[in-house]
Amino acid sequence: MMSSMNDVVKSLEGFNPFIEEIDEREVKVTVSPDRVIAVLETLKANGYSHLSLMTCVDWIDDNQLELVYILFSWKDGGKFIVSTRIDRNNPKFFTVKELWPVARFYERELHEFFGVEFEGNDDMRPLFLELWDEKPPLRKDFDPRDYSRKKFPDRKYEKDVIKEAKIFRGEING
Amino acid sequence: MAMQELPKKDFFAPLKAWKFLGKKPVTIEVPNKVKREASDRYRGFHINDWEKCIGCGTCSKICPTDAITMVEVPGLVRDHGKMPQRPVIDYGRCSFCALCVDICTTGSLQMTREYVHVSEDAEDYIYMPTEKGLDAKRGVYEHGKAPLGWVKDENSDILDLVRVKMPMEEPEVRVKSFIEIVKGYSKEQAEQEAARCVACGICTYTCPEHMDIPQYIESIYKGDLEEGLRWLYRTNPLSMVCGRVCTHRCETACSVGVRGEPVAIRWLKRYIIDNVPFEEYDRILNIRPEKKGKSIGIVGSGPAGLSAAYFLATMGYDVTIYEANARPGGVMRYGIPRYRLPDEALDKDIAFIEALGVKILVNTKVGQEINFDEIAKKHDAVFLSTGFGLGRSTRVPGTDHPNVKQALPMLKMIRDYLRGDGPKPPVPRKLIVIGGGNVAMDISRSMARLQTMEYGEVNVHTLSLERSFEEMPADMDEIEEALEEGVEFHPGWGPIEIVIENDEVKGARFKKCLRVFDENHRFSPQFDENNQIFIEADMVIEAIGQAPDYSYLPQEIQEKLEFVRGRIKTNEYNQTAIEWLFAGGDIVHGPDIIHGVADGYTAAKGIDMYLSNK
Repeated sequence: MMSSMNDVVKSLEGFNPFIEEIDEREVKVTVSPDRVIAVLETLKANGYSHLSLMTCVDWIDDNQLELVYILFSWKDGGKFIVSTRIDRNNPKFFTVKELWPVARFYERELHEFFGVEFEGNDDMRPLFLELWDEKPPLRKDFDPRDYSRKKFPDRKYEKDVIKEAKIFRGEING
Repeated sequence: MAMQELPKKDFFAPLKAWKFLGKKPVTIEVPNKVKREASDRYRGFHINDWEKCIGCGTCSKICPTDAITMVEVPGLVRDHGKMPQRPVIDYGRCSFCALCVDICTTGSLQMTREYVHVSEDAEDYIYMPTEKGLDAKRGVYEHGKAPLGWVKDENSDILDLVRVKMPMEEPEVRVKSFIEIVKGYSKEQAEQEAARCVACGICTYTCPEHMDIPQYIESIYKGDLEEGLRWLYRTNPLSMVCGRVCTHRCETACSVGVRGEPVAIRWLKRYIIDNVPFEEYDRILNIRPEKKGKSIGIVGSGPAGLSAAYFLATMGYDVTIYEANARPGGVMRYGIPRYRLPDEALDKDIAFIEALGVKILVNTKVGQEINFDEIAKKHDAVFLSTGFGLGRSTRVPGTDHPNVKQALPMLKMIRDYLRGDGPKPPVPRKLIVIGGGNVAMDISRSMARLQTMEYGEVNVHTLSLERSFEEMPADMDEIEEALEEGVEFHPGWGPIEIVIENDEVKGARFKKCLRVFDENHRFSPQFDENNQIFIEADMVIEAIGQAPDYSYLPQEIQEKLEFVRGRIKTNEYNQTAIEWLFAGGDIVHGPDIIHGVADGYTAAKGIDMYLSNK
């Protein structure tokens, strides 16, 4: 990793992080949930001030949800991926909207698609989905096909698709 | 910690928007005059190359919105590796995610850049993709002219095209003994290999016994080997044997094999049997039929005989098998070499058949120890599965010499020797094998092993009429492994004579073979008499084919039966012209073990029908 990032990594030592170097400009920092906010603050103070993305990964077999914050620095172009895992059955975390106001929307999105609640952010109105009445759709145990079948019953078509295909292929005349 | 400052709101900001009124719009007017093309990788309406598509239905299975249905197309035929169905897409459901394209086994399904299709008629949204694509209403392109958009590349391909490597003995090691070459998958390897299966079931049709292949592969994937065993025993009581030496036609039909290496179906089958202890079979399979009080006699304990015995026993019949040799198994026991099929593998399969109450009378040659009439009298029906036990000779001059041998008796002798049942076979320093089939490979490779054990070097020359490895009927794996073990091949030579001096075999002379089959694919070799070679040897083994031996059948039975080119003619239930007499295996169909198993299965059904109606 770049030396500027290396210095920043050193400043994180107190948080007992697990560091993975992804490439020259990308480093993943995994910490326990109680240290995430402090790590984010430290990185922000060190120039990694742009929250590029907040997302989530469902580790269903481990019964955990991984929260991911991607911080970017306009100074050196480096990127820190800050990650932590929370309980999948009780997916509660804390908002970072005080650090990055834009996080309000990311948090709404994660609430909608993964069911994570963010303490301190009361605005959890749906962002993308309309009339959603199932479990959050990006959870791995959500079955899109079942949902599709239930929600959109098959329509009966009259058209002879085989005949049409054969006409298209020039096998028979239309 | 410093808070990031929000940009200051400008009181006049809303008014600034008015300045855009006079500018050219960035957005495009709809309905637009110039239709805008989609990007290169756009996921638009599908096209499907019907010549490439094999109807495997994998697109339909992966579809997350249930938009794809497989529909049978009249005019398409069901064939090896092909199903007569094509996908139909409901664009009322499709979410254009392209998973169907990314998993397509053949690469026939792709997406175009056409994205406009406007119609008020819902019927216009169901469509069976062809090479021409959708006839899009008000579309960007003329029908059939839409360029490709999303197509699969190596990053988006979901299929795993590479087979999990099977651990095998190295050639230098294996040629020194008869140790089994294929070591079998570990749990991890088997599950990884099972994960490659797309469960299309195209293999089931090709398998002569129509085994539940996707089902038992799924059992492996789930780690439920007990369920896997039940799937295997539904159709095949010789799964341990077939898991090792089946000709695995299923793998040549496998849809994953269209672009990559087919799923290792045979070895996955073996994995199940290798990993379920025999003691557990009875509990897992739980076969408790009601006794029918009728008995069936079976002549010969090869694949067909054992298979018939198993299925009859599961129906509640009393079954007795008459076997001429000292051990049951027929060709599996005495033909196939031990490095491909160890005794233990066969023993496990047979032990379970015996555990169902099937009696196997060994050393009981029909016609010698017991008369056929006696068997006919004793049982309500009889099944013949005596196989092709006699060797064929080229009958060139010199083949009557004692050191010109037949492959089958030699293979039997070798196997008996290895299990301590018989004397050591003669091991020549230099050997010629005549033949290009799997039996020729078996004897060449067995003798190569004996030579290495005896003299430390291999000197086997294998000559066949067929002029290339591709033309030879032997499996390519067999040829490759024989080459690795030091067997020398001479494809395209026909024998003239065995050269004998002072009553000893000195070698054989061959002439160049110009063609093996005529235009009608009939056997009709032509030779160049002027192009000859001599190969030195002190033994010649002929492996050019096998023949049946019906001498155990009384004359009046033989007269009533119908024979077609040496094989007994039966109906679809393996019933002969004599209603209580059924036949199967090599003497009816051939050519391999799985066909024998299939014959045993149909014969058992036939016998049950015959006896139920009687």
